[in-house]
Amino acid sequence: MGEVIVVTSGKGGVGKTTSTANIGTGLAMLDKKVVLIDTDIGLRNLDVVMGLENRIVYNLVDVIEGNCRIRNALIKDKRYPNLYLLPSAQTRDKTSVSPEQMKKLSDELKEEFDYILMDCPAGIEQGFKNAIAGADRALVVTTPEVSAVRDADRIIGLLEANEMKQTHLIVNRLRMDMVKRGDMMSSEDVCEILAVDLIGVVPDDENIVISTNQGEPLVGSDTMAGHAFMNICRRIIGEDVPLLDLTEKSSIFSKLFGKYRKN
Amino acid sequence: MAISFEGRDLTNEEQREILDIIQENTDMHIVCIIDNDAEREELFRKTLEQRLMELANNTGQFYKGILRSGASLEFETSVVIIGDVNHGARVVSKGNIIVLGALKGNAFAGATGNTNSFVVALDMRPMQIRIADTIARSPDKPVKEESKEAKIAFLEDGNIYIEPLTKSVLQDISL
Repeated sequence: MGEVIVVTSGKGGVGKTTSTANIGTGLAMLDKKVVLIDTDIGLRNLDVVMGLENRIVYNLVDVIEGNCRIRNALIKDKRYPNLYLLPSAQTRDKTSVSPEQMKKLSDELKEEFDYILMDCPAGIEQGFKNAIAGADRALVVTTPEVSAVRDADRIIGLLEANEMKQTHLIVNRLRMDMVKRGDMMSSEDVCEILAVDLIGVVPDDENIVISTNQGEPLVGSDTMAGHAFMNICRRIIGEDVPLLDLTEKSSIFSKLFGKYRKN
Repeated sequence: MAISFEGRDLTNEEQREILDIIQENTDMHIVCIIDNDAEREELFRKTLEQRLMELANNTGQFYKGILRSGASLEFETSVVIIGDVNHGARVVSKGNIIVLGALKGNAFAGATGNTNSFVVALDMRPMQIRIADTIARSPDKPVKEESKEAKIAFLEDGNIYIEPLTKSVLQDISL
């Protein structure tokens, strides 16, 4: 029996789709059977981030409306055979699907997959309600900025009201240099305001932009963000992994050259 | 059946007499007398409101949990919130509000006009506080790291004051 995890945030642009892609790929790398579902109907982009947009024939709305079987709509990932994507529709909108239909779909997929990741759209309306319908647990993504934290607080309140059994927090795009200067909230500050267990901190990493453009999630690679996402995946499957020390950025060489540059 | 006396003003004894006559001679059961005196009605209404306000201040209930952004709670009585009130959340009470945690949202005490109502918080950093008809808002530039002590917000001379909760302030509170 699989676990349905919804990745949500409230605010747009904080990294839900990126997190869904990376966590899903990471879980597949750890030999789990994973399916990613893009529930953002009308503004789909999980397929782009995964690099699978040219393989889409059927989508989520086709499955819900009964135009095709789930098997036909699932797209196998380029790199990992145990990772699948169920893309969203670009030509419809969020009223095309109801929460009950989503629950039925996720219940069916639970029989076959270990993890079902729902990429939730921004906002608190129909799209959000659809995405949380069948979920067993939630991952709330936020950046350490006041507006994102405020929206995350609202979302956590709504998740509590909908009796979500487990909620964890991912602090994304953290910049330790700004935190040290006191210009940015630390992950501890964010956790204090939101009062939810932290499952991972992902630093701001240029490599994310590159990996998105290339359509290849960078989880597991030797980059700060890659390590952070892999740790999150390990924590999801139950391992106890200590938080990364994000201050450990520069290598010995850059420290030496840095000294020369300052002189 | 309800009865109302109009035209001539009757004293209480005269009203009693009429009621007795009706009771003896008919099968009608008079449940109440409707009073059409505007002045007396106004007096009763004021007294009732006063009593209700005092009741709101003197009775209370508890609420346990964090009030998250977007949540709005309204209480007929005073309330003790065991938890935080986050930014974007709102508490409204006809009586007093006590937050055993951080107050970062909006608190509205004395909602029906009781100017004696107060707001207490262990960590007082509200967006807006309103007591009866007066609103106060937080400063535009955040004040850097004040001491984390319990504070009370109360209304005096039409202004809302926020002061640390010391013995002398406690003595000045009237319910």
